Amino acid sequence: MIYEPKPYKITEIKQYGNDIKLFRVKTNMNPMPGHFFEVSILGVGECALASCSYNKDYVDILARNAGGVTNVMFNLKKGEEIFIRGPYGRGYPLNLIKKKNIILVAGGTGIAPVTSLIEYIEKNRKDFGEIKVFFGFRNPESILLKDRIDKWKKKFNFTLCFDRAEKKVNGEIGFVHEVIARKKPGTKNTIAIMCGPEIMMDASSKILNELGLENNKIYWNMERRMECAIGNCGRCLIQDVYVCKDGPVFRYDKIKTKLENEKS
Amino acid sequence: MQKILPKKELGAFLKNLIEKYEVIAPVIEKVGDFKISKFKVIKKPGEVYLKENTLVPPKQFFLPEKEALFGFNGNKIESANLGKKKRIILGIRKCDINSLMVLDKVLYDSLYANRRNNTILIGFWCKKPDKYCFCNSMELKDLEKPGFSNFPKQKTQSFGNYYDLFFYEEGDNYYISIGSKKGEELVKDLKNSKKQVIKKLENKKELLKNDIENHYRNAVWDTCVEKCLGCAACTIYCPTCNCFNIEDKINIDLKSGKRIREQTSCQLKSFTEVAGGKVFRETRASRFKHFVYHKIVLYKKKFGRYMCTGCGRCLRVCPTRIDWVEAINLMRDFEKIKEKGKK
Repeated sequence: MIYEPKPYKITEIKQYGNDIKLFRVKTNMNPMPGHFFEVSILGVGECALASCSYNKDYVDILARNAGGVTNVMFNLKKGEEIFIRGPYGRGYPLNLIKKKNIILVAGGTGIAPVTSLIEYIEKNRKDFGEIKVFFGFRNPESILLKDRIDKWKKKFNFTLCFDRAEKKVNGEIGFVHEVIARKKPGTKNTIAIMCGPEIMMDASSKILNELGLENNKIYWNMERRMECAIGNCGRCLIQDVYVCKDGPVFRYDKIKTKLENEKS
Repeated sequence: MQKILPKKELGAFLKNLIEKYEVIAPVIEKVGDFKISKFKVIKKPGEVYLKENTLVPPKQFFLPEKEALFGFNGNKIESANLGKKKRIILGIRKCDINSLMVLDKVLYDSLYANRRNNTILIGFWCKKPDKYCFCNSMELKDLEKPGFSNFPKQKTQSFGNYYDLFFYEEGDNYYISIGSKKGEELVKDLKNSKKQVIKKLENKKELLKNDIENHYRNAVWDTCVEKCLGCAACTIYCPTCNCFNIEDKINIDLKSGKRIREQTSCQLKSFTEVAGGKVFRETRASRFKHFVYHKIVLYKKKFGRYMCTGCGRCLRVCPTRIDWVEAINLMRDFEKIKEKGKK
């Protein structure tokens, strides 16, 4: 039955800030970048969480303590079992972004799916051009996956953006789109991939438009409520597309009018 | 070749079926002061109520309001038991047969497929469509067209036929069209009919316009939305609405329980709420339009046919009598006026 999850062992837990934890789970699911899972605690429920690793032996899941399932997940310890079904979704269009320069834009926990792509790029570095990363966080204290970001800073053109900071920080101060407007990354032969709040993606897309990147070169990673993840429950419908089955990554020009119609 | 069954022998025919199968047929049930017609498992032929279409659609026999996906005990998962019970749904109308075509394209889990495969459909011609019916405006205008009685095979699996038998009423007899081998088996003892009786339905209501894609901001919608209470009755009674919620129900021992899916509605605000409290379809207008557009435009874009079957149940049960079909027709008139103005 497609709805039955399987148990997997948690091999590592790391905490970032007050309310975010990273769970490393030993699996053989082998997700591609941009895939997501239905993570469940029997007796509590299910929630859709993105994969934030690209590895054969394990899966990393970044979860904010924001709902029923993640709340119970927070009490889990290393060695305990967690139920997962997946991977679901279509992931990032890897064939279309090869040999291109890539701008990655993400904010908050939205960095989770994007990091899976960075890990993929790291392993297949030759296939890609220049990589520019813009990660936005509320403040320097709420930075996520710091260990990985520190490692990647040496390899890629990395810019951390903080909405506000009290002391001097290693990064830029301002919203992500403001930082992009200031830094003016080149947009020749470039694809932009974004994940985060829709307001952030909207503002950043506008800035990139001004810098010469068209909407058909921008990909959005959407968030919706997903109950079944196989296109049955109808919860994640944006007009005629299921975010779970047809997404969660959409080309911006294709999803833009749909989002506008949704709001009317 | 059609078979013929005199009306007074219907009881004996049903009795025969009840002995062999679980027969589900329209009945009328008293709930307080109201009489509600719905599909139910019948024990006696006399219970059947065939005068008009039911208020409650038959979808609950394929996608129940609430059902267990699997059970669990501690960290052990117990798979749901797929029943192999053979069923007959009798007295299903054209619009509801149409609704199964819609559901077949969306749902493909084993629970649904199993129910679909084990159910024989015996359709009935609608003698008296009421003022809310507009099934002729939707797909499946002609039941007897080749292709409708045979289910087009999907890539993953195939279910039974869309109808196995279909009853047309004329004079003192029923004339029965045969759609499948399973159906043929049921009527093999009946006499062959000398003439062919195929009837069309007559609707009073009509949906005149369906290319409403560019009308999201049309002011006519406000006349509907203003009246909408967001009660979700339209979606609950809709034969094609299949959205559900997945939830865990835990027993008092705090160890065992079930993961269930339960029917929900896109008209509720919580429908699109994500962790953190963000609601994507926040306004009543956006939720109401999602319902109508999904039925008329969006589903068609994806699967090539209307999701709406024109059964009129959403109009029939609406407490504030919202008539979105008329509203859409009005948009067409508006366009005509506009064009005249241009000239």
